[in-house]
Amino acid sequence: MLLTFFLLGALYLAFLVVLLYFQADLLTTLIFIGGFMFLQYFYSDRMVLWSMGARLVSESEAPNLHETVSRLCAMADLPKPRIAMVNSSIPNAFATGRNQRNAVVAVTSGLMRQLNQSELEAVLAHELTHVKNRDAMVLTIASFLSTLAFFLVRYLFFFGGGGKRDRSGIVLVWLASMAVYVASFLLIRALSRYREFAADRGSAIITGQPSHLVSALMKISGTISRIPSEDLRKVEGANAFFIIPAASGSSLFNLLSTHPPVEQRIAALERIEKELSA
Amino acid sequence: MGFLDSLLGKTELPKARPDKLFAITTAAITLQASLDLKPDGAAAICIKPMESSHYDAARAEVEDFLKISTKECGCQYSIQKDEYGYMWVVLKDPDLEDLVASIQMISQVLIEQGYGGQILCAVFRFRGESTVYWIYSFKQGLFYPFVPLGDQKRNNALEFRLKASIEKELPIEKEMERWYPLWGMPI
Repeated sequence: MLLTFFLLGALYLAFLVVLLYFQADLLTTLIFIGGFMFLQYFYSDRMVLWSMGARLVSESEAPNLHETVSRLCAMADLPKPRIAMVNSSIPNAFATGRNQRNAVVAVTSGLMRQLNQSELEAVLAHELTHVKNRDAMVLTIASFLSTLAFFLVRYLFFFGGGGKRDRSGIVLVWLASMAVYVASFLLIRALSRYREFAADRGSAIITGQPSHLVSALMKISGTISRIPSEDLRKVEGANAFFIIPAASGSSLFNLLSTHPPVEQRIAALERIEKELSA
Repeated sequence: MGFLDSLLGKTELPKARPDKLFAITTAAITLQASLDLKPDGAAAICIKPMESSHYDAARAEVEDFLKISTKECGCQYSIQKDEYGYMWVVLKDPDLEDLVASIQMISQVLIEQGYGGQILCAVFRFRGESTVYWIYSFKQGLFYPFVPLGDQKRNNALEFRLKASIEKELPIEKEMERWYPLWGMPI
C-alpha cells in the first residue's frame, strides 16, 4: 500500500516534470494539478470501493452491521453512511467519501468473522470518526498543498526566466522536486497518523469502551498471537538460543507508515480509559 | 459540534436534551382521540454503558432511584442488556405520566453525573390496530414513530400518517433519515 502510494506520487511527479520541461505554461500545469485533485476528491469513494472490490450492502443483507452503525450514528449525531463489504479473509475496515453525506464505511468479511459484536462496534466507531473528522478531505487538501509547494519551488527557483533545457538542469530540477516531495510525503504521513489517533479517541468516546478497540486492534494486527501460550518454565531454557528477539517495528518504518504502531495506539487508548474513569 | 472541532479531530458526544420529553403526555390525548392509539403501560430508556467506575456509581444511583420510586407508585422496572451491548431500563406502569416522569428522572440523574451523552433514546409503547413505538431522541430532543412489522420491516405508511396527524402537538424529527429503527427492543 505504502509503496503504491509512493510510486503513484513519483509517477505523477515525473509527468509534471515532463510537462514543465517542455515549457508547458503555468496555466496548463495548474489545470493539470487541479484536475487531478478534483478527480481524486469527487471520485475517491468510487475509486477506493472499486480498487478494494467492495460492494454496497443493504439493510436486509447485513442487518446487524446496519443496526450497529445506525445506533453509533444516533449516539454521535452523524448522518448514516452507506455500508460496503469486501470479500476478503484479511480483517480490515476503511472509510471513504469526500464528505459526511457521501461517506462509505466498508468492512471485510474476515473482520466480521474474527471480531465479536463489541469489537466490531469499536472498529466501526473508529471509521465513523474518520467520516466525522472529514479526514478524506483534510488529507486531499494536505496533498494538494504539498503539490502546490513542490510546484512553487520548482517554478520559482528553476524557471524564473525562460527555462533552461540543458541536461544538468533537468537532473537538478528533478532532485529538488524529489526533496520537496519526500518532505511533504513524510509530513502527510505524520498528519495521517495524528488523524488515526484522533479516530481511536473518537471511537473510545462514542462507544465509551476503549478496551474493545484495544482487543480489536490486537486481533487485527495479529498481536494476540504474540502473547505466548507456552509455560514460562518450558521456554526459559530455549530463549537463550534466539539471537534476534522478535522483530519490532523499526523507527524508519514508523516514520513512513500512515498508521501509528499498534503498541502506541493501545497505549493511547489505555490513557483514555484512565481519563474516562477519573 | 463545531466544524473546527471535527477538523482538529476532537470528538464529543452531543449533550442530552430532555426538555421536550413531556410533550408525549399531551400528544397521547390526541393520539387516542383521533387515531384510537392508547398508551400501553410500558416505556424504556436506552443507555450506552461505559467502562468507568464513576459511570458504575451513576448507574447504581439510577437503580437506587428506581427501587424507591417503583415502591411508591407500585410499578415495575427491569434492567436488560441487548445484543448490541446497550442497557435498557424497562418500566411498566399503567399511567403514562408516571412513566414519563420516571424516564425524566433517570435522565436527570445521568446528566447530573456527566453521562447525559450516553443516553440514546427513550421509547413509549402505544397500542391501536398495531403496536406503535414513539421514540424520543435525547440527541435531538425530538420524537419519531416506529412501527415494526417483524422480519426487519417497518410500516412506513402508518409512520407517515402518525407524523402528519400529530405534527402540531409533538415535536417530530423532520429528517426521516434519522428515524432509526430499534429492532429487538426488550419492550
